[in-house]
Amino acid sequence: MTFDYGLVIDSFPLLLVGAVVTIQITAISVSCGMLIGMFAGMARLSKSWPVRMLATVYVDFIRGTPLLVQIFIIYFALPMLSGHRIDAFVAAVTACSVNSGAYIAEIFRAGIQSIDKGQTEAGRSLGMSWGQTMRCIILPQAFKRIIPPLGNEFIAMLKDSSLVSVIGFEELTRRGQLIIARTYGSFEIWLTVAFIYLVMTLAISRLVDYLERRYKIDDKH
Amino acid sequence: MISIKNLHKNFGKLHVLKGIDCFIKEQEVVVVIGPSGSGKSTLLRCINYLEEPTEGEIMVDNIPLTDEANINRVRAEVGMVFQRFNLFPHKSVLKNVTLAPIMVRKLPVAEAEQIARDLLEKVGLSDKALAYPEQLSGGQQQRVAIARALAMRPKVMLFDEPTSALDPEMIKEVLDVMKTLAHEGMTMVVVTHEMGFAREVGDRVIFMDDGRIVEEGAPNAIFSNPREERTQAFLSKIL
Repeated sequence: MTFDYGLVIDSFPLLLVGAVVTIQITAISVSCGMLIGMFAGMARLSKSWPVRMLATVYVDFIRGTPLLVQIFIIYFALPMLSGHRIDAFVAAVTACSVNSGAYIAEIFRAGIQSIDKGQTEAGRSLGMSWGQTMRCIILPQAFKRIIPPLGNEFIAMLKDSSLVSVIGFEELTRRGQLIIARTYGSFEIWLTVAFIYLVMTLAISRLVDYLERRYKIDDKH
Repeated sequence: MISIKNLHKNFGKLHVLKGIDCFIKEQEVVVVIGPSGSGKSTLLRCINYLEEPTEGEIMVDNIPLTDEANINRVRAEVGMVFQRFNLFPHKSVLKNVTLAPIMVRKLPVAEAEQIARDLLEKVGLSDKALAYPEQLSGGQQQRVAIARALAMRPKVMLFDEPTSALDPEMIKEVLDVMKTLAHEGMTMVVVTHEMGFAREVGDRVIFMDDGRIVEEGAPNAIFSNPREERTQAFLSKIL
């Protein structure tokens, strides 16, 4: 067989549009995931056991079930309860955010636990509340330390977001499928799709390396 | 100023404090000595509730340590200096000192900074306001920690082995700051192994062993003429 370069060149703009959508859904999901994860991570360390248990159930459920199944639950199963169909984009972002949040919760938990207990004690001994101590003292220090695992999570999410193609959401993978359905250029298109994913993940990991180095230099520890 | 009644503290099965009764007057400097594991630090940490007492009653400045709001109120009035300094590494010296006054006392930034600069001058570090903790020596860090605690205008200062993590040549600079404070009439509770400091500055020395107060009295009486056998044994090892 011959490699059809013309097909690659013709479909490249379409695939790039899909790549932009992939980046969008990843960025939105990881951002929401960070918010969810920060609170869930703190909840995992809460003194109150119902809060702790709720967070643990969430993290265990999400990490113990496949993202694909979670997408199906949100897109197909939940609408059966409510009686309303959900937009594919909303379903995709929700599934990815909730999924990402569970992994990021564990990253935050570990990051918070890695900060010396004396920091909390110093804050509390000055009369600062638990929330103030967290916000001004613990989280800023923890955040620097969790940049590398957060970067990994971003890369993982970028790749896993290909799963939302199954509900017809037109990100990079789905675009590839649609082009192949039209042109039968399986070989060329899947290689191109893989290449675009690779470029994106490499770019992110470089960015994370850079951030990590920058924070290491001014890490006042 | 501080009243402690029948204070017990268990860590799991370990009974660390076995009924402490103690009253500390305003402007008094109380030095707590004793072998390691005797419960000195735990006692200190119970006073501002960093450790939750298992049993007993603590009142600071007539505020009982009962609910969360009271605990934060007491903590704002009680400064604490730790063995390992516990400065905030991501904040400059000035920010370390101004953080709590701004967050807790709601002072305007300018006012908090003025207070901080005055205190840094007092501990001899006015030129280090913009440095970060890691750029300072241990003695300097501990002096910043003292300034940070003082910035809250506390009524009591607790010192938990403030010189134990320091190189010998830096101990004096920290003790000098503490002496100044004592002479200004600050109420202080100091856990330390610095017997010279206890003798010179202390109004009262408390000797603790095995979770109990074994003996207490004026420094001269305790050091030259201890009544209890355990006090004698401890002092003979360290003096």
